[in-house]
Amino acid sequence: MTSLTSHDRLGKNGAGPMSKDEGQLQDDCVVSLEGVVIGFDSNNPLLKVPDLTIKSGEIVAITGSSGVGKTTLLRTIAGLIRPISGTLRVCHSTLPSQPPRGSVGYIPQRLGLVRHASVRHNVMLGARAGHTNPLSLFPSSEAIEHTDYSIERMGLTDKANEPIRRLSGGQQRRVATARTLAQNPKLIMADEFLSELDEETLEKVLSEVTGYVRSSGAALIVVEHDFARAKSMADRLLLIDDGRVNPFLSETTAEEVKI
Amino acid sequence: MITGFSKTFLYLFLVLVFAVWVMDGLVHDWGRLSGSGGNLVTFFKESLWPPNWSVIEPQAYPVCTAYPIIDFTCSTAWIGMVETIKIAFVSTVLGTIISLPIGLLATRNLNPKGVSYIARFILAAARSMPSIIWAIFFVILVGFGPLSGVLAMTIYTVGYLGKLQYESIEGMSSNPLEAASSMGLSKLETAIGVVIPESANNLISQTIFMFEYNIRHGTVIGIVGAGGIGYYINLYLKFLQYDKVIAYLIIIFAVVLLIDFLSIYARSFFTEESDVKRPSWWGVLLPADLVTKLRRNRQE
Repeated sequence: MTSLTSHDRLGKNGAGPMSKDEGQLQDDCVVSLEGVVIGFDSNNPLLKVPDLTIKSGEIVAITGSSGVGKTTLLRTIAGLIRPISGTLRVCHSTLPSQPPRGSVGYIPQRLGLVRHASVRHNVMLGARAGHTNPLSLFPSSEAIEHTDYSIERMGLTDKANEPIRRLSGGQQRRVATARTLAQNPKLIMADEFLSELDEETLEKVLSEVTGYVRSSGAALIVVEHDFARAKSMADRLLLIDDGRVNPFLSETTAEEVKI
Repeated sequence: MITGFSKTFLYLFLVLVFAVWVMDGLVHDWGRLSGSGGNLVTFFKESLWPPNWSVIEPQAYPVCTAYPIIDFTCSTAWIGMVETIKIAFVSTVLGTIISLPIGLLATRNLNPKGVSYIARFILAAARSMPSIIWAIFFVILVGFGPLSGVLAMTIYTVGYLGKLQYESIEGMSSNPLEAASSMGLSKLETAIGVVIPESANNLISQTIFMFEYNIRHGTVIGIVGAGGIGYYINLYLKFLQYDKVIAYLIIIFAVVLLIDFLSIYARSFFTEESDVKRPSWWGVLLPADLVTKLRRNRQE
C-alpha cells in the first residue's frame, strides 16, 4: 500500500498548495498608503511616502542602500510602527486596526522564530493563524496538513523535530518562509528573506514563494538590498533614496537608477 | 584634576560617611560592642558546642517502628527536614501554577498598561510580606501545622516567582512577538505558542531556584508553628537547649548545600548549550567568577 504524502493529499503543483485553498484566494488584499510620513520624530521624519497602492498578485520590492528606512517602511505597513501622519490600509483594515486574522504573513529580518521550539511548532504557528479558530485548543486538520506540506516544500522534513537554535541561518530562513506559506496569507511581507541562502536554496525558496503568489493571487512586498535581485523578482520597485520613496516601474534598469 | 577613578572612589567614600552617620543615629551606646567577642566565645563554648546529635536518634514518642538500620528516619531531624522539603515542593508546584498566568498578565510587552498594573499589584501584594508573616497569618486562619506552611509559602512563591517570570518574559526578543502579532495570533495563542516555549528554559530554571529558596525559608516558618524543622528549633530554643539547636542548624546547612548543588546542576540543563559548564561543588561554595578563574587556570 502506498501512503500519500501531504503533498499528494493537498494536490500538488509547482505553484504550491492546492487547488482547494491555496488556489485563487477569495478576497483581494490591497495595500494603500495616502500621505504617509514615517519615522520616530515628527520634526525629523525618516520617509515621506508618495500615495501608492499595491494590488493583489503584485510583487513589489523595496530597495535602497543601508539605513535608508526600508525595514522601517515594511514594519510600518505591517502595523508594527505607527506612521507620523497619513492613512494606511491593509486588507480592508485601516491601521492601527488589525487586518483579518491570518491574512498577512510577515517574515522579519531576524525571522521571529521561537528558538527553543521545533521547526514543526514554528510552522504550525503560521498554519494556526491561517486555518484554525483562535479559540480552538488544538490545530485543525487543515492546519496540520498545511504545516506538513510547507515543511516538505521547504525541504525541511528531516529537520521537522529539531529545535530552531540547532539550525543554520539559511535553514532558519526556510523555516520562517514555511511558516508564512503554511498560513496561506493574502499579503506576504518579507524583510531580506533570501539572505544567507546558497544559490540553489535561494532559487528554490524564491520559486516557491513567487509560485505561491502567482497561483494564489496574493501580494508580496519584499525588502531587498540587492538591486539586481530585487529587479529580477519584482513587478514594481520602490527605491528609497534621500528620504523619499520613489516608485519605479520594473522596466527601470539598474544602470538608470542611482542608489 | 579629579580622574574618573578618583571620582568614583570619592562618591563611595561619601556614601560610606553617610552610612556611618545614619548608624550613629541608630546606636546610642557603642561601648556595648566591646564585650561582644567575649560573649560569643562564652556562648559558643558553654551552650553551642559540641552539638547534641541526639536529634538524629529515634525520638522516644511515638515509638519508632522502622527497620533498625534506618531508624534514623524516626529522628526529629529527619521528620522535620522531610516535612520542610515536602512543604517547599508542594508550595513551589502550586505557586508556579498560580504565578504563571498572573506573570503573563503582568508583562508590558503583551498586555495593555491597565492589565499589567493590576497583575503587578497582585504580585507585589503577595511579595510585600515575608513568608514568615504569611505563616503567622495562616496559622491564625487554619491552625498549626504544614497546611498553614504550604499556604504561606505558596502565596510568597506567587509573588516572588511571578516577578521573576514577567521580568524574564519582558526580556525576550520582540521579533517572535511581532511575527505572531502580524499573523493575527490571539494573545492566548501567543502566550502558549510563542512566549512560554521561548522563555521555557528561564521559567524552569526559576522554578528550580524557587524550590531551593522555599527549602531555605521553610526552615524558618516552623518557628511560628507552620510545620517543618523550624518547629523543633523553636522548641529547643524555648528550652534553652542550644546544643540541639546548633545540631539542627548544621543539618539544615548540609541539606541546603546539597539542594543548592542539585539546583545549580538541574538548572544547567535548561541554559543554552555551551553557555554554562556543568557545575562543580566549588560552584556552590564560591562566587561564579572565581570558579571560572580557577577553571581557566587549571586548563592553562
